[in-house]
Formats: sequence, structure tokens, C-alpha cells
Amino acid sequence: MARLLQIFGFLSVLFRGGTLTFGSLTIGGIVFLNFVARRANSQSEAVNKVCLRWIRRAAAALAVMQMAYILASSLILMQSADMTMGDVSGANFVLAGILAIASALTIAAISVVQRPRIYAVMLAPAALILVSSVMTSHAMARLDYRFPLAVVTALHQGATATWLGGLFYLLISIPRSPDNQFARQLIARFSKLALISVAVLAAAGFTLSLAYVGSIPAIYGTSYGIMVATKVVLFGTLLLLGALNFQIARSPSGGSVIASLKRFGEAELGIGITVILTAASLTSLPPAIDLKNDRVSRQEIAARLVPQIPRLASPAVQDLPEDVYAAEVTAFNGGTLSSASFVPGQAGTRPNTPAEKSWSEYNHHWAGLIVLAIGLLAFLAQTRHFPWARNWPLLFLGLSLFLFLRSDPETWPLGPNGFWATLQDPEVLLHRIFSLLVIGLAIFEWRVQTGRVATEGPRLIFPALVAVASGLLLTHSHSLGNIKEEVLAELSHAPLAILGVVAGWSRWLELRLPAENKVRDRMAWLWPTCLVLIGLLLLNYREM
Amino acid sequence: MRLGYTVRLAVCLFASAAMFFVVLPAIAHAVLLESSPSINTTVAGPSIPIKLRFNVRIDATRSRLTLVAPDASTQLLAISKDAPADILASQAQGLIPGEYRIRWQVLASDGHITRGEIPFKVTQP
Repeated sequence: MARLLQIFGFLSVLFRGGTLTFGSLTIGGIVFLNFVARRANSQSEAVNKVCLRWIRRAAAALAVMQMAYILASSLILMQSADMTMGDVSGANFVLAGILAIASALTIAAISVVQRPRIYAVMLAPAALILVSSVMTSHAMARLDYRFPLAVVTALHQGATATWLGGLFYLLISIPRSPDNQFARQLIARFSKLALISVAVLAAAGFTLSLAYVGSIPAIYGTSYGIMVATKVVLFGTLLLLGALNFQIARSPSGGSVIASLKRFGEAELGIGITVILTAASLTSLPPAIDLKNDRVSRQEIAARLVPQIPRLASPAVQDLPEDVYAAEVTAFNGGTLSSASFVPGQAGTRPNTPAEKSWSEYNHHWAGLIVLAIGLLAFLAQTRHFPWARNWPLLFLGLSLFLFLRSDPETWPLGPNGFWATLQDPEVLLHRIFSLLVIGLAIFEWRVQTGRVATEGPRLIFPALVAVASGLLLTHSHSLGNIKEEVLAELSHAPLAILGVVAGWSRWLELRLPAENKVRDRMAWLWPTCLVLIGLLLLNYREM
Repeated sequence: MRLGYTVRLAVCLFASAAMFFVVLPAIAHAVLLESSPSINTTVAGPSIPIKLRFNVRIDATRSRLTLVAPDASTQLLAISKDAPADILASQAQGLIPGEYRIRWQVLASDGHITRGEIPFKVTQP
């Protein structure tokens, strides 16, 4: 049962991220249709049609995600607290979910009608989706200033949806515009809307940070603070891209202007979705202001950051607990777990043994060496003077083999659990699948780098995957009850994720921007630099 | 933005696998700020008031308090309906001396479920 709850616990985080993303796309689309596409001097049926189609898809996906979220959370509650469906049905998250589902289905149904009159009608259910999202936000559970915080949260989420959700609709509208003039009109109108949204978003975000973080030490000393700081850094990147777009939009008409705008918009949207996923993980963390004890101090962070010689010798497999999960259950039954709070499906938090910490450091350091080598070779390859360096993707094969051997030491070939146990434990199985995917990625990118792939589509796989995987690093937190070690681990993982996101999207822009755009050349050097920095950070990763 | 089928498939596959790879179960949200009895303290029996204060509003109807006796038997405790929004209150009666644990599970008003436990010792009055 505990294993089942673990899966449901994981799924509820996944569904929460999906709900926020599709909610933003639905709301953003409706705002775009009403305030950008519809207010243009002339009408384009093709643009309206494609917007309505995607609003319908996003609303349907939102309804499905909400249903799944309610189901997963209800099952967790029913199983862990021995409740019936009737007991659970009045819970706040169920009511909020039903409101979102009803609103999303209404939008999906209305959007079938292809008449401009219905565009404004859709604003009402869009507002209800926002209300539903606020109902399951931190604001609703606060003891003080509940209503003002709910209003500020609604402004924050609404502005995010208008900007990032709307951006998606701008990108799909541009190719369908009847002429360049119409496209530029859409861009100009959206730029104004985006500017207002960004101002509201930043002001509301700052207010929420004051309420939920409250002090500088809480920023670097808690998981919540670290995630907020990460969001701010990514927001800065988005602003930079937005500024580049704004500058281009105001420049005289030229062949590559709209192409550049679209490419920057793609990166902006990708990073924007990463920010939304980070927000999804923030909703699962206790606000920093509530965690007064066990915050990480500046001295502890400084001590952890002092460079040390990487650990290149591994502890013996025999020194590790044979079954990590069983060890946790034993500790739980023996009452030796941390008394901090945890979620159903987990037995609690068991401190890692010194051998486990050494094992993890060794893994990070060797992975760091490989990534550093990849970054340096990619750098050399960009100079065009060292053609052999273009084979750098093959180093990912080494990384894959390393992950395969080291990620689950209790299982074959290193541990006592045989090969077939791989198929029984979903976690081990997924680690193995992940290793296989890295092999696929290595071969694919090697073919791209060595000129064996000419078309653009497959060339985008590597940057897209790097950006997606890095973004996903931000969708979870290690922290339970603010245990210091876990906060310190997150402090090192957040920069890794940011660098990965920047690496992925800068490579994307290098491939996608038109040759006339000077930014393209800078992007060509940015992503290898990020890979080098990731390698260096991994090499200095420590758990003790 | 028109990506080929291969690209989309690869990204989706990788994203799904990476999700499982990096995402751990949902994180605890409600934080236990103080409790009576406190963690690892000794209280005089046989009747003890129980009070748990959290950092957020709690849905008391959908929260649970369970007492684990020294012989590992469990008893569901009735939760008071008159307590403030952030407090779970109850009363345990007829406790003999020994080591006990209160297992708590709360549903916060924002929909997050959290659980934990409070070990304590009961002595003669």
C-alpha cells in the first residue's frame, strides 16, 4: 500500500504542474483572443480559428488534469485516513477542482461556436479557473490576511497566464496572419499587454515574497526561499528575452524581424513553462516565513562551497544499506526517523549514512568530470579548428553507462538483487530506461554534430531535451521539514537547473535564429559555457 | 514551432522518463509548530489533553489523530470541532504508564496532506 501511495503522491505533483500549465494556456488564449486578435484593425478568420482550436485543446487537457488531480488526492486521503468518497467530497481541493473542470468544459463547448460574440463570454469561465487555482494556493490556508493574499495571488497567476499563455497564441498566430502588416499589429498589441502583465506579475510576486519569505536569511536558508530565488533568476532571463523582442518589434520592417521574434518567443515560452513548473513545486512547500528553525546559515553555505578535491574513489557496495526502502521502514517502526512532517507514502526521513553520502558525492564528481569534458570539447568544436572535438556527444555514452551502474547499487550488476528485480521495482526500471534514453540522445546528437543529419527538426532534439530535463529538476524539492542537509543539496541543484535551462535554450536559439541576427553568435558560445559551469558545479557537489 | 513527429515523440518520452527520474513524492506542507505533549517528553497519565498547532488552516473533519499504545495497538482519537482553525485538539484517556506515539495526518485548507508522529512517555500521576 505504501508503494501505491508513493506513486499517487508523485502523480499529484505531476497533475498539479499540468493543471497550472494548461490553466495558463486556456486563460492566456482567451485573453489573447479578446484583447489582441479581436482588437486588430482587420480580422483574420485563420488566426481566430487556430486560437479557438488551441483554447479548446488546452481547456480539455485542463479538465483531464484536474480530474486526475482530484482522483489522485482523494485516493491518497481515502487510503491514508480510512475515509469514504463521501467523506472526501466536501474537501476544499475537490470543490476547487470541480469548479475548474466545469469552467474548462464550458470553455471547450463554447469554443466550438465560431462567432466573435462568444469570445467575451469565455472570459467568465476563464476567471473561474483562476478562482479555482487560488482556492488551492497558499493564500487559502493562511491564518492572517487571507483575502488580500488571495487577491494578490489571483493577480500574480492571471498576469502569468496573460503573458506566457498569450505568448503561445502569438506564436501560432504569426504564421497564419494574412500579411506581415497584420502580424506586426498582433505583435505590437501583445507587447503592450505583456508589458502590463509583467508589471503586475512583478509587483504581485514581490508582495507575495514579503508575505511568504519575509527576510533575506529565509531566501538562502529554506527550500521555499531557494525556489523563489530560482524563479526570480528565470524571470530575469525572460525579461531579457522580452526586451530583445520588444526592441526587434520596434525596429523597421525587415525580412528577418518576424523570424527573430518567433524564435525568441519560443525560448521565452519554454522558459516560461519552466517557471510555471517551479511555481507548482512552490505550492507544495511550506512558506519560508513559517520555518524558523534549522535554517541554513551563510557560514554553513560558505563552508559547503569551499572547493575541495573531488571524490574519485568509491565506498564499497557492502557499506550501503541493502534495501534503502526497507531501511526506512525499519527506522520508522523503530521510531528513529526524523519527527518532521512527511507525506503519505513515505515512511519519513532517514538520515543518509556516511557511506551513502560518499557514494552520492562520487557519482556527482565523476558525472561532473564527464560533463566538464563535454563542455570543453563542445567549446573547441565551436572554434571550427578542431573537427575531432565534434564527437563530444559520444561522452554521453560514458555517462549513461555510469548512471546504469551506479544509480541503484542494490540491484544487478552491483548489488544482491538480480536482473529481474529491475523489472519489479518501478524506480529502478525507470532509471534503466533513462540510461537507455541518454544513449539514444548521445547517438542522435553525435549524428547532428558530425553532419550526418541535415534537416532542422532532429537537430532540435538535444537542446529541447536538455531544457526539459533541467526544468524538471526544479519541479521537485528534496526538503522535508526544512532539514538542513536537504536545503544545502537544493542550493547546489538550483544553479544546475538554471544553467541547464539556459544551455538548452541558447543552443535552440543558435539553431533557430536567422543568420543576420547577431545574438545567434553569442548563443553559440553561451551553451558550451553553461555545460562547463555545470561540470564544475557537479565536481564541487558535497553532502558532508 | 512546427516540430517534426520524431522531435515531439523524443521530447515526450524523455520528459516522461525524466519526470519519474527526478520527481519524488509530494512534499509536506503543513508544519507542526508546537504540540502538547511535546516530542519525546514525559507526561502524567491516565488522562492527557492533546493539542497540535500548525502553520496553516486545517480541515479538521478530514484530519486524523491516532494513538499508538506501548503494545502497538492503535486507537483513533475524536477531534474537537471547537478548536481554532490551526489547531487539532483531542483527549486521550485511560493511559497506563509506557511509551506512546501520536500519529497525526492533516489536510490543509489548500489541499495538501501531511503526516507525522509525536513520541512521548506516560508515567503514573
